[in-house]
Amino acid sequence: MTDHVTHGGFAAAETERAEAERNRAAAERGDAPLLPSERLWGFWEFTYANSALAIATWAFLIGGSVGLFVGPKEGIAAIIIGNIVGVMLTALATTPISGRYGIEQFIALRSQFGYNGSRVVYVLAVVVLTMGWLAVLAMMFGRSIDGLTALSAGEAANPTGIKMIIAAVGAILVTWFIVAKGPTSIKFFNMIVSPALVILMIVMLYLILQHRSFSELLAMPALAPPFEDNTLNFIIAVEVNLAAGFSWWPYIGNLARLTKKERTAFWPNIVGIFGAAALGEIVGLLAAVALGDSDPTIWMTKIAGPVIGIIALLFVAFANMTSMANILYTSIVGLRQVGTASIRAISWGAILFLFCVIPLGLVVFYPQMYDGFFIFLVWTSALNSALAGIGIADYFFLRRQKLDVRSLHAPQENGPYRFWGGFNPIGLFALAVGFGVYVLVFNPQTLASLPIFKYLTASVPSCLAAGTVHYVLTRLFARGRGWGLYP
Amino acid sequence: MDNDIAWQNELARRARIYEDIEAGHRFEGKMTAIDYAGMAALTLLLVVAFWIWGA
Repeated sequence: MTDHVTHGGFAAAETERAEAERNRAAAERGDAPLLPSERLWGFWEFTYANSALAIATWAFLIGGSVGLFVGPKEGIAAIIIGNIVGVMLTALATTPISGRYGIEQFIALRSQFGYNGSRVVYVLAVVVLTMGWLAVLAMMFGRSIDGLTALSAGEAANPTGIKMIIAAVGAILVTWFIVAKGPTSIKFFNMIVSPALVILMIVMLYLILQHRSFSELLAMPALAPPFEDNTLNFIIAVEVNLAAGFSWWPYIGNLARLTKKERTAFWPNIVGIFGAAALGEIVGLLAAVALGDSDPTIWMTKIAGPVIGIIALLFVAFANMTSMANILYTSIVGLRQVGTASIRAISWGAILFLFCVIPLGLVVFYPQMYDGFFIFLVWTSALNSALAGIGIADYFFLRRQKLDVRSLHAPQENGPYRFWGGFNPIGLFALAVGFGVYVLVFNPQTLASLPIFKYLTASVPSCLAAGTVHYVLTRLFARGRGWGLYP
Repeated sequence: MDNDIAWQNELARRARIYEDIEAGHRFEGKMTAIDYAGMAALTLLLVVAFWIWGA
């Protein structure tokens, strides 16, 4: 009898433990808020994770692009100014919410845009951005492989040739295969690739300084300044870096929810993301200007010679695939959170492949995108800067840092965050205003700008305009209609 | 159906924990005015210093 009861007690405890584990796993995937006791990261753990995300091959590309507009001295200043402002505002808009409530970023976004509006924002800010980055990184992989084969055979590289396209298509398909296998393989690659990229940066910096002294480098001119007005070129370089800083908007909120405290959710972004990204960009900038080419797949072979060049290119090629796997995985996990039942019904492998179709098309039909990739990056800032402005206005000034966790996770159809058919027209209008202000002040496609751009950039007015419109219209119209539980 | 009810109960339990923390002002490591002043000062310092140095 006693044995029977004991056995039953063990079985019940086992079931309870299994259920608690299932709930915790679901919370980690974003289905529920993570409790303070379930959070994983302290200050340094989050700093390390952030650095791993920021130290990626795109930092070389962004640094090289800055070198097109300004020389190294102005470029370093632009990198620091653009990144600190962009990262600070983005972190402020996303991480204190996640750090306080352990809440998934796009679930929190229901309080700003409504439960359907947050889906729209997800598609605009995450899907489009990730598809573009997948194509650019795949082409960087393809160029590395093309450079490698050319270097081995002693021939000239053809960065837009068929070899590059085949390798880039192969990179996307292999990334799809890796991510389809699950997250364990991605974590394994991260552990190796991030520290190795730091070593690669240091080696590259050492090799650059072997060619030219630091003071010589600082005195060098820009590679291809678009305007005679140096101030305008400098502000464009700042704008590219603001865009780089704001481009973390879709990702850092969901990392910050794994931190133990609100303060721990915020400050490591300044050390990890700002510090690491700035370092990588500065290496890319110095190398590009010293060697006369902004493309890292070209300057690496020039600077390092055939043997180290082959190793560096091989490494960069596979580091790109790790970056691709990270952003693809994050985007699809998010897509399943915001997606409809029919999207969630599509198998993991199939939805991943469908997501890769557009990047595959870009690689095959529009490889020129790689050379103008900074244009694509700056376009994303028109959206991300406005999103940051709305996030700060909503959470800090309208809600006074208070969210209703229960309502955000409850069925939404009749909840307080349904706004108007699931969309908050005020938030979406503010987003459109922010986007419009950006494009009016500075057109990323043509680089045409209003005089105000030289004093304020485009991201800062866009952020301010979106935040102000959201604040004023919410005060005027939302509370009276009972929308969104505003105090 | 049972699973759904169990999950809604779990969500309610988690929400209640946060409501209790909030009601008791027991959020650990809450950002204060010092943090906000610090981030404003750091941003301003870097922008001004690098603008003077590089622009």
